[in-house]
Amino acid sequence: MSEVGQKRWSRSRVATAGVLTAWAVAFWFVLLAGLSPLYLSPRTSWVIPTGAILLSMAAIGRLISMRTSGPPERLSRHEAIVLGLFLLPVALILILPPQTLSAYAVGRRPTFVTGLSTSVSDISTGPLTLLEIAGAQNTRRGLDALATHAGQDVDFTGFVVRTPTTPADEFTLNRFVISCCVADAQRAYIRVVDAPPGKFEVNQWVRVKGTIYPIGRDVILQASSIVPVEKPAQPYLSP
Amino acid sequence: MTDTTAPTSSPSSSAASTPSPRPSRHEHGKANIRARAEATWRTLLGIVFVVLAVAILARVSGIDATPWLANLLIVFNSLLIEALPFVLIGAAVSAAIEVYVPASTFEKLGRLPKAAQLPAAGLAGMAFPVCECGSVPVARRLASKGLSTGAAITFMLAAPVLNPIVLISTYVAYRGRDTLLPMVLGRAGLGFIVAVTTGWVVSSLSKGQLLRARPADVVIEDHVDADDSRWRQYIAHLAGDFLFMGRFLILGAFLAAAVQTFVPQSILSGVASLPILSLVAMMALAFLLSLCSESDAFVAASFVQFGVASQLAFLVFGPMMDMKLGAIYTGTFNKGFSRTVAISVGATTLVGCMWIQVFFG
Repeated sequence: MSEVGQKRWSRSRVATAGVLTAWAVAFWFVLLAGLSPLYLSPRTSWVIPTGAILLSMAAIGRLISMRTSGPPERLSRHEAIVLGLFLLPVALILILPPQTLSAYAVGRRPTFVTGLSTSVSDISTGPLTLLEIAGAQNTRRGLDALATHAGQDVDFTGFVVRTPTTPADEFTLNRFVISCCVADAQRAYIRVVDAPPGKFEVNQWVRVKGTIYPIGRDVILQASSIVPVEKPAQPYLSP
Repeated sequence: MTDTTAPTSSPSSSAASTPSPRPSRHEHGKANIRARAEATWRTLLGIVFVVLAVAILARVSGIDATPWLANLLIVFNSLLIEALPFVLIGAAVSAAIEVYVPASTFEKLGRLPKAAQLPAAGLAGMAFPVCECGSVPVARRLASKGLSTGAAITFMLAAPVLNPIVLISTYVAYRGRDTLLPMVLGRAGLGFIVAVTTGWVVSSLSKGQLLRARPADVVIEDHVDADDSRWRQYIAHLAGDFLFMGRFLILGAFLAAAVQTFVPQSILSGVASLPILSLVAMMALAFLLSLCSESDAFVAASFVQFGVASQLAFLVFGPMMDMKLGAIYTGTFNKGFSRTVAISVGATTLVGCMWIQVFFG
């Protein structure tokens, strides 16, 4: 009873304050380092500043109340380890180099189809993007709209994917489309022909200029120029 | 400190009027904390050191060389970054309910007839624009404060399907397709029916049968001193709820990321034309992928080989029962209750979608 009434540091409060602070730091880091596009689409990127502010407020509130005059608050080793698990994702976000989905994910993801900005009228009238071409390939109306662009010059950036059966002078140019976060990523791609054999590696980011030819359910991009580029700051497309 | 909101004994022990020679789960918890070693300051520093060492080791070993690991971590971190703020918003609302709303308010609501309570709770979900991770702590707090079990669960299940952001995103995902109206109205209508039906199924359960007693060594929960001011109590409840729900979110996000890393989604295409199997397959996929309800319509729309009913099964079942929610439910509710919710949500979604399949394919 003599312990009650004296202000002392509570280990459990210090631990929870540490976890909340670590997550607040992670959110501020993602926000200030401009890494939001690696995790979320522009549509949901507001979540990161919101999370940073809310977590900071919660952390500050917990930091202020880390000393208690009540009975000693126990923190078991088991519970401390569980709290440690909260820190692992934070450490990974802060320490690992920024990563994006790669060719490994290509075979495990669905292909993007017509969505927000790829209505038939958009495809018929607007400038073509990889998003529109990918979206149009899965519907009859989309393919018909795309056919009106046959022979048109385009300029796309994406990463290279090849399989063992891909002809030597071809590859697919790929981007992932995310509508909320990377977990819902879908593949958008176009077949590139007339590429210099063996010059470009899988996962390499390239800019391809050329002419598109919709043929049946397939769309071919006949390359006139392919140059290696840095991975864009916004590696994912958004509908 | 013990949990001030969850029942202090297991359902079986609370139901029994005579003292049981077997200790309750809570008593087990108290015994466990005495038996378990207490964490010292050195323990805490050691844990921080191990966490940092693992992350540095991952960096030094070159994560690019292991594509599956890179893929898993990308999806895992992305799910957490997207979902944690919603858990925090849910915890903030939950803490506000605990500290600032008197229990008598919910007790009065709890006395309303079930026929009025459940649909009202379902429609109330329209006013809570967060995804499923945020609705669970709120529902837990509503139930612990005296709202009927059925109404709390109806709200929890309806909010992630019926809120305006989800319905707008569904509209956007299907814009320009013939199936736009069946998808948007079907999602809202079937989601409402499934939520109310499940609320009705569990409405006979008591609060003690609903909420899982938290182990006594989860001392981070609700650390409130008697002389704490209200805002200090608020922060304590907020931190407690966030850290309690967050651990299950981390587990669920990891499992979902693992599934997305190792299981190609194309394995389902073989059953797309089979009447009932296609519905079950899409419900299973929704469970495994654990997508946010505000984005799942874009993924559902990509499964063009599946019909309206199968895509609706994905959109209605997923926000109510997926892998990360399963982990959160398991931590929040009693096992029997979670099982009842899973069966009720699954069966009602399946039957509803079978009728939709008859009319729309």
